[in-house]
Amino acid sequence: MPEATIDHIVSLIALLGAILIFIGLFNQTIQTAVVYEEHAYLATECSDLLDSILLNPGSPSNTTLYWGTSNCTPTNFGLQDPEFTQYELSPFSLMRLFYSPGSSVYYDKTNAYYSNNTLTLGESLLTPYNEVVNYTTVTQLLGINGTLGFSLALTPLVSVITTQTQSTNLSLTVTVTSNGYPLANAGLSYCLIAVSGQGSYPSFTIEPGTNTTNSQGQALLSFPDVDGTKEPYALMVVCASQSGLLGTGDYEHALNNESYAIPLIADFGNQSVLIANSQDVYLQNNPSSMSYNATFFLLTHGFTLSQMPLTNPAGNIDSGPGTSYGNITIPTNNPGILAIGYNVTNPDNTVSTGVTLMPWGISPMPLPVVLGGNPLQSDWVTEDIRQVTVNGISYQAKLELWSLQGYTEISQK
Amino acid sequence: MMRTIEVLLVIIIITGASITASWFAVLPQPRQASQLNLRRLALTTLEMLDQDHGLSQTAFRTAGDPAWSQLQAALSGSLPPNILYNLTVYNTTSGAALDSISNAQTLGVGSDAATYMVASSNVTFNVAPQKIGQQGNGGGTLYILNCSDSNGWWITGYTANSLANDLYNLLSPYFQVTIMVQNTTQLGQILNGTNISTSPYENVTSAVVINTNGEAVPIPSGYYNTSGYDNQQSSYAKYCYMLGNATLTYNWTWVSIVGYPLYYVCNTGLFQSASNQNGFGIHGMIMVGPAGLNAFLEGLSNQTYSYNGTWITDSYTDDPGLANVGLSSNTLYYCNYYGIYPSVYQTATRALPTSILSMYKLTVASYILNQVDNWCPGAFYNHIGSGAFMALGLARTPDIRLTAIGLLAAYRPSLYRSQYTASGTSRLVVLQLGQAGGV
Repeated sequence: MPEATIDHIVSLIALLGAILIFIGLFNQTIQTAVVYEEHAYLATECSDLLDSILLNPGSPSNTTLYWGTSNCTPTNFGLQDPEFTQYELSPFSLMRLFYSPGSSVYYDKTNAYYSNNTLTLGESLLTPYNEVVNYTTVTQLLGINGTLGFSLALTPLVSVITTQTQSTNLSLTVTVTSNGYPLANAGLSYCLIAVSGQGSYPSFTIEPGTNTTNSQGQALLSFPDVDGTKEPYALMVVCASQSGLLGTGDYEHALNNESYAIPLIADFGNQSVLIANSQDVYLQNNPSSMSYNATFFLLTHGFTLSQMPLTNPAGNIDSGPGTSYGNITIPTNNPGILAIGYNVTNPDNTVSTGVTLMPWGISPMPLPVVLGGNPLQSDWVTEDIRQVTVNGISYQAKLELWSLQGYTEISQK
Repeated sequence: MMRTIEVLLVIIIITGASITASWFAVLPQPRQASQLNLRRLALTTLEMLDQDHGLSQTAFRTAGDPAWSQLQAALSGSLPPNILYNLTVYNTTSGAALDSISNAQTLGVGSDAATYMVASSNVTFNVAPQKIGQQGNGGGTLYILNCSDSNGWWITGYTANSLANDLYNLLSPYFQVTIMVQNTTQLGQILNGTNISTSPYENVTSAVVINTNGEAVPIPSGYYNTSGYDNQQSSYAKYCYMLGNATLTYNWTWVSIVGYPLYYVCNTGLFQSASNQNGFGIHGMIMVGPAGLNAFLEGLSNQTYSYNGTWITDSYTDDPGLANVGLSSNTLYYCNYYGIYPSVYQTATRALPTSILSMYKLTVASYILNQVDNWCPGAFYNHIGSGAFMALGLARTPDIRLTAIGLLAAYRPSLYRSQYTASGTSRLVVLQLGQAGGV
């Protein structure tokens, strides 16, 4: 009798132990499969979402109203240029996106905050909060609000770096690379703007030209009539490699960085731009008065820069209290660069001159576009990449996607 | 002891089941859980490199040409550093690989590819239209009334001559022969069934006649001036009857490009009196009124001539639906086919009633504009016997593209496009991408 009982007990314990071990083994397999499914779903969703953003112009995008060139909030989000097919994006819808990495700017004269996409000093795009399309709006329009987080980044593929090799009898070296690889025999179309501070308002001397890069991807541009030690200048470059990569670059050399003119987008629909004194925007304590003169360079379909006159391009701005800022209207719906020459009268009555640039449409200057949240707290981030063009300029679009809800039944944590 | 042995047997069976299940339950490799869509990346890379036809040009360069190293630099520069690639160009005829560039000997454990067809820049692709009348579909000859001795009306902003030239440019590729009727004498000749050119393709029978004078129609002097005049009603409606009857006899297609058809007759040599003007100061022109169209339709349907001055058309002022009338779906389709794009919406002031269909034994071969209630703003009518009539009852100014697309949508000549697969003119580029690293 005791032997039979012991037999039963031993066999039962062995059976239960074996069952528990096997449940654990199967559970391990199932957990791995569920996590794989979650990750595979995210990867598929990432690819689909990226295509739906890049292959859809959004709404409204009809002939009378397009959200990229107006003030309206889109009812459907997409970045494709409505006049094109495939992966050709609109330079204007990209310009309306909030730039997530930038530090916001408050300008008290308009009582508005601005999204800040600054390349370097004097090369910036500042857009008012009430006109930009922000991350929250986009997640709602994409139908992923509260379930998925994303970060969309568009980066120019071609890097155009300019260095000053000689200041008197100005000469500049332009180096064109892509991901570190030099682009040889690439055609350059450039335009140099030298600013003269003589007279009531600054005046421009414009020297356009073309050149070709050598085997190291470099080209030397000479401007013997320009003295870089006395005249501020800006160089705008469009580069087209024979293998199909196109890029833009710019270089700005100001003689004074204490006070300078800052263009602020005022209204996308009316195409109006405010010109502010940096002392007001960045609340510096060096009051100054400023006179400015602006001009616009259109990026033509042949990838050259063509000057367009502006109505009322010149004016005066005083820093400090009041509503003193300039107001100009961009005369075209095509992408280009707004160049503003300025004379600053300092407190000691000395005058210094400079030039600032602002793109109209994102592509004429190599500004990156980043819209999205921060994935640092998420378990798993998936990404996908497409090559796109923005008004013909080559960009790489990368979407990072993550789940905001964690994993469901079984957690890997 | 027996129970323990039984349990050991059960454990052995379950272990066997577990091992078997693990053997068949193949879990994916970690990389497969979340990988880049390499196919899309490859396709967009190829599209971007060919946006300015750079890739197309390089694909036709010989091996060793510097363009290949530039393409390799562009590929390396545009793809992320961890992406391995192999780009190969194939001859589409033989299938042979012509050239290849890559940045690795192998593409790792998994890869994907996209293909892209490029065409040589030395090749011109032609589109050759089928000629109307070539395959027995009628109307091999196009007559465009370009009468120097006639003025036009309701063609504001244009002259009959400028419209005739535009029509010639648009439509002559689709006809075996296109003939400008230079004066009313020549019009009289074709009304008599006589050829007016030396072209061997000219055939008065089954021709298309386009009246570019708008609401006016040129009238030859002589027989048509005398026999076409209704002495009882003091009207040239009878001439319009003769035009309709000629349309029936010769199986013509008579085309009215704008307004109320046949509302005036015009001949500057014939009507020289100061009083011979249309009421708006256009000399050499006499009003016929609505009787002109009614008489034409009587002639087309081979009815006995009977003067009828009843106004039969309708305008958007009476039927608001005619203010913004759209092109029919059939017309829209052929707009894309022939690449002619008039405005999708038009305003009708002289829409014809559907009652003319039964009254004059007509059928609608194709609607150019959508029918609104019982009104046809623009349509191509076939007479049940022979002859056809196309009328665009639109407000001025005339859009000649509507006339062209209306005729083409009715006759539907085919377009023959030269093929991309012509020997040596196209190559296939395959870009295969993989990711660096292990599994």
